[in-house]
Amino acid sequence: MSTQKEKDRLELLQGTLDLLILRTLIFGPQHGQGIGRTIQRTTGDELLVEHGALYPALQRLEERGWVAAEWGTSANNRKARFYKLTPAGRKQLVRETTKWRRLAAAIGRVLGTEAGEG
Amino acid sequence: MFWRKRKPSNFAAELDAHLELETGRLKEQGLSGEEARMAALRAFGNVTRAEERFYEEGRWMWWDHLMQDLRFGLRILRKNPGLTAVAVLTLALGIGATDVIFSVVDNTLLRPFPYRDADGISIFRIHDLDQATQSGRLQLSVPEFLDFREQNHVFADMTGTGPANVLYTGAGGTQELQGAAVTTNTFQFLGVPPVLGRWIATGDGAPDAPPVFMMNYRMWQEQFHGDRNILGTVFNLNGVPRTLVGIMPPRFQYFGADVWLPLGLSGSGAVVTGEPVADRRRMYLIPEERRKAGISPETVASDLNVIAQRISKLYPKDYPKHFNVKTDALASDVVGDFKGMLYVLLAAVAMLLLIACSNVANLLLARASSREKEIAVRASIGASHGRLLRQLLVESFVLAAAGSFLGCLFAYAGLKALMAVLPQGALPSEAVIEMNSPVLLFTVAVTMLTTLLCGLAPALHAVGGELHPRLKDAGRGVNSGSRPGRFRSGLVVGEVALSIVLLAGAGLMMRSFFAIEHVDLGFNPQHILAVRLAFPEGHYSTPEQNKLFFQQVLPRLSAVPGVVAAAVTVGLPPFGGPQSEVTVPGKTHSERWNALFEPCSEGWFRTMGIPLVRGRLLSETDVDSARQAAVINQALARRFFGQEDPIGQKIKFNALDQAPEAPHDAYFEIVGIVADTKKEDLQQPTMPEGFIPYTVASFGRRSLLVRTSGNPDPMLKSISRAVWAVDPDAALTRSGSIQTFLQDFVYAGPRFGLVVLGVFAAIGLLLVVIGVFSVMAYSVSLQTHEIGIRMALGARRSGVLGMVLARGLRLVALGIVIGEIANLGLTRLLASQIWGVSARDPLTFASMAMVIAIAGTLACVVPARKASRVDPMVALRYE
Repeated sequence: MSTQKEKDRLELLQGTLDLLILRTLIFGPQHGQGIGRTIQRTTGDELLVEHGALYPALQRLEERGWVAAEWGTSANNRKARFYKLTPAGRKQLVRETTKWRRLAAAIGRVLGTEAGEG
Repeated sequence: MFWRKRKPSNFAAELDAHLELETGRLKEQGLSGEEARMAALRAFGNVTRAEERFYEEGRWMWWDHLMQDLRFGLRILRKNPGLTAVAVLTLALGIGATDVIFSVVDNTLLRPFPYRDADGISIFRIHDLDQATQSGRLQLSVPEFLDFREQNHVFADMTGTGPANVLYTGAGGTQELQGAAVTTNTFQFLGVPPVLGRWIATGDGAPDAPPVFMMNYRMWQEQFHGDRNILGTVFNLNGVPRTLVGIMPPRFQYFGADVWLPLGLSGSGAVVTGEPVADRRRMYLIPEERRKAGISPETVASDLNVIAQRISKLYPKDYPKHFNVKTDALASDVVGDFKGMLYVLLAAVAMLLLIACSNVANLLLARASSREKEIAVRASIGASHGRLLRQLLVESFVLAAAGSFLGCLFAYAGLKALMAVLPQGALPSEAVIEMNSPVLLFTVAVTMLTTLLCGLAPALHAVGGELHPRLKDAGRGVNSGSRPGRFRSGLVVGEVALSIVLLAGAGLMMRSFFAIEHVDLGFNPQHILAVRLAFPEGHYSTPEQNKLFFQQVLPRLSAVPGVVAAAVTVGLPPFGGPQSEVTVPGKTHSERWNALFEPCSEGWFRTMGIPLVRGRLLSETDVDSARQAAVINQALARRFFGQEDPIGQKIKFNALDQAPEAPHDAYFEIVGIVADTKKEDLQQPTMPEGFIPYTVASFGRRSLLVRTSGNPDPMLKSISRAVWAVDPDAALTRSGSIQTFLQDFVYAGPRFGLVVLGVFAAIGLLLVVIGVFSVMAYSVSLQTHEIGIRMALGARRSGVLGMVLARGLRLVALGIVIGEIANLGLTRLLASQIWGVSARDPLTFASMAMVIAIAGTLACVVPARKASRVDPMVALRYE
């Protein structure tokens, strides 16, 4: 966990945090800290997710009705607020995922041709 | 949605939980307690920033700020109790008046009826094209009605209703009820469920159906104390035993009837089911109908025109030479003439509300000027324009809301007072005028509008502009030449102009009312009691029987102590008697000659107090022998005889030819001429009228007129006794003094306009006085310093007094000029509501200008005197 490594981490693109949170919750209810950890683990520590940014995002998602939350107890017996995906959130996830894939593919095509010519 | 937001404390707990979990995990990885905690915090980032973002994104901030603004607004308003009280009271007057008139308009023009889909109900009239001013014929004879009903292609349903006088013989003797005979589809058509029992239904119109009827709620309550057991009992109505099958709810007053009876229609006429067919009346029905879906009113009119043209050949007497069929909504018919008055009042309250708003805007502007420093400080330490604007608007909202609340209370009381002066019959009886939810919703809308009207200008003024100069010398020396000063003066000028318009309207109403009240009736309405008589069907049907009855009644009446004279008549003053086309032998004329004719006894002229002009009155012998003699009024003599002497000539009232039990082809010899008298429409020229002995015929409802020496109302008892001594079955209805009839039906309309517009104009004037006063007082207080200098330099007190007065009066004078110019255009809209005075009456305009000039001067005097008493030393040290 060197400082050098932290600098190399990728900044999150605007709006992608929501998508990552929704995606993470597809495996079942999770509290904020768990969501942060899962994102970091599954991206191989490539993404810089400031934990502090998670909570306003979760609040936003909750207000839009894409996630629901309630207080519960964590695996090691601590109080935590658990989030789960709502049916509306599931639909949103599908929509966003499709959009993201098309965007990534389009950008990939542009970058790919450039690479080929060079 | 609003309440789904989370509390900040809840959010903080979640962040704590996160940090603990993260610290725990790091500890498991081998870090020490303190290191783990620090690492968790580092990974988290800025905790406070996260909390702030939560707060700003949530709705808490919005809510907190609003509450803050409200608290602050209330505090500011409490600090200036005088200003707050004046502003709230001003708005309450404006909003209250608006509520009252809106309530009347909403309940009468917009939703006057309790019927299902009342907007879809229409009526039609046969309109005589040669008499454009007349509204046309609404009633149809039964064969006509059936023709329209069967031949039209445009109506989904059509009902017909005719009047039916009903004599009800119960425990308390015989009484006459208002009845309405309805086609059996009527109740289905109107769609109002009964409170008890069932509707009159299709089967009830069959010739052999058992006789039934339905009852009005009021009659049920008043005469039977709401006893539910009377349903299904049998009543004796017009001598026929009838079962009561249903009672309608309170608001249902179809045709103003006490009882509704089923009507059976056939080609030969209408029969109220159960009554003997021999009593079949030549009944006229008022049709109401609903269009089929997708049919336009134009299609209806053209379809009905085709039918009418066809059947006019069958009944040539009932149709004018040139006519068309006009359709109209039911509501337009019922509210009719009164609509114009309501629109005038609506315009008046709008002006009143504007005056109130500009008054409060003025007060707030004045205060905003003195608060400039406060606002500037707040802006300089970081309050955004939006935030400041909102805070000032919240303040005016608090004022408006308080004003609305008080205004609703005023309106509640105002409506009660309004009902007392409302002319009878001006509004549909089924309209319920009250503070209901549409009115309250309207009030909320008015509150919002008021907030903006009186708050926006002051708020924008307070927030706009440079900060620096205002921080330096705010709240002082702002003279009337500055931008807000001019704006405030403009508001005062506008207020004065609006109030001139209101005053002129009220003034014209007053002149019109006095003009109507001073119309010479031609008779003396004091101390005359009028009583209409009703008898069971078939009683006194011949002139002979009729004469026998009245020849016994009249002497008994004259013998009652306090009775001066008594007469029998058909027409009930101030309403006229029957109307007829007349024929005068030897006269040729192209247009129809119409006249009223009055079958009466010889006592008529003395009872009414109508003076003889020439010839002689009807004598006892004329009446006794049913002599064909007539007395005419001056209008008839002028109109049909011109310069000739009518006495000794003959006249025929053609209507008698049609009447049963009346002399046909009878020419009456004119024996005398009496003075003209006015009927209920005082504004119209007197109709030609003839008086003939009542003994020549027996048609028509007979009435008794009794002149008494004192107040006529208490005499009714002894008069009833005199009538019942001759015939206990006689029912006395519609009794009252002629003076009361005049008050209720003739003077009430103009008086209503006068009272309501007068009250509004008075409120407007009061508000203007407050407005002028507050602006002048404020500008004087700002100028204390300047006045001090002037006086130190030698200005006299009288000079200062004059200066302030002149400035105030300049504003008032400008307002008067603008208002009078507006009057030239606006009072014309009042023309249909006034009579006997021009809508541009110079006297009214001038006197109202005087009123406002005097009021304006009074409003300026107090601030001006205060200015003249400024002590130069104090004023100069004032800085």
